[in-house]
Amino acid sequence: MDTFGLKIIASDRVFYEGRCRQIIIPAPDGEKGILPNHENMVIAVNVGDARMEVEKGKWVDIAVGAGFMEIVNNRVTMLVDTAERPEEIDIRRAEEAKERAEEQLRQKQSIQEYYHSQASLARAMNRLKVSKEKPWNL
Amino acid sequence: MANIKEVQERINSVKDTMKITNAMYMISSSKMTQARKKLADTEPYFYGLQGEIARILRHLPELTHRFFDRREGVPKEERKIGSIVVTADKGLAGAYNHNVIKLEEEILAKPGKHKLFVVGELGRHYFSKKEIEIDTNFQYTVQKPTMHRARNISAKILEQFQNRELDEVYIVYTRMENSVQADAETVKLLPLERSDFSEMKMPLNMYREAIELYPSAEAVMDSIVPNYVTGMVYGCLVEAYASEHNARMMAMKSATDSAQSLIKDLSVLYNRARQAAITQEITEVCAGARAQNGERK
Repeated sequence: MDTFGLKIIASDRVFYEGRCRQIIIPAPDGEKGILPNHENMVIAVNVGDARMEVEKGKWVDIAVGAGFMEIVNNRVTMLVDTAERPEEIDIRRAEEAKERAEEQLRQKQSIQEYYHSQASLARAMNRLKVSKEKPWNL
Repeated sequence: MANIKEVQERINSVKDTMKITNAMYMISSSKMTQARKKLADTEPYFYGLQGEIARILRHLPELTHRFFDRREGVPKEERKIGSIVVTADKGLAGAYNHNVIKLEEEILAKPGKHKLFVVGELGRHYFSKKEIEIDTNFQYTVQKPTMHRARNISAKILEQFQNRELDEVYIVYTRMENSVQADAETVKLLPLERSDFSEMKMPLNMYREAIELYPSAEAVMDSIVPNYVTGMVYGCLVEAYASEHNARMMAMKSATDSAQSLIKDLSVLYNRARQAAITQEITEVCAGARAQNGERK
């Protein structure tokens, strides 16, 4: 099977750089899979769970933040504000963040603050979702 | 001749000050190492974002978006100009704060309605004495820049820009050229300028094929631009943090050095005074003994 060059850059580090067989990302209207030799495209990426197949049958889960992905000439660059592997996620911290965001959403706040807490809630829930699917976090 | 006790006191006080400056030097140097690491970690993201917007604009020159709206209909005197000023929380950093404030004063001298967003305690104190509108809810320190803080700042700026409470947004910060040189700099955050991006140097054999934007150009720009502004603010905060500690480190280093040379001069003075006192005492004792010997004869 063909592969393509993938580079995932988070705001605090280069998360992944190398070859990849396929990647599935959360787009605003649902998941989108990228295979080698994909059409040139720029896709918005939502907060969610991305999966990449590095080798045959070996899938890696990534909790990604908002950003976008660009596909040019079989080279894929994903720029997101956060990217974490499930084992890197601090569950307690994510749970605290979730509770905090829920607390804030119950209170009266401006529209901007509302979006803000909504975004933090989405990030926290996504982290929990990605990390909980793993056996070692049971 | 100086009094021995006075000189001794002086030496002790200089020594105490030197302890403080030396401690601050070490703190700043360790903080700067952290800041530099952070800076190196962010750079790929920061430049990646800039490159990406440039590429999208190159492929879609006709793209119009609300963040590119220059609002030329607004006359010069009516324009609401916001500036984010990044200063330190405290002084003792050489000309660091002074340079930033001087640059901001230049912006304030231009026509328009100015509004300030000050990051850092020192700048807040300075500008609160002047008659300029300062966003008082904007209470951020410059210590340990985080993505979270950058997100808060950019959300605030973007909201006010979209509500037409601001027509132009600048950020004044200090960029670290290398470990010895740091320059205060003004960067325009909003509206985005096409020329900023197209001037970037690109190799000649760049691919220039059509790129499709999914789900739409609008949606992609909506997701990239806020990220770009956040990334830009974060990058500026980190740069400023690194240069602040660099400036403080150098200021404290020269303070410690001059304290050392002062101590050296003072201890020469002290030793001379001590020597003089001893000589005088010996002379007195000798004179006394001689006088007694004379009496006995």
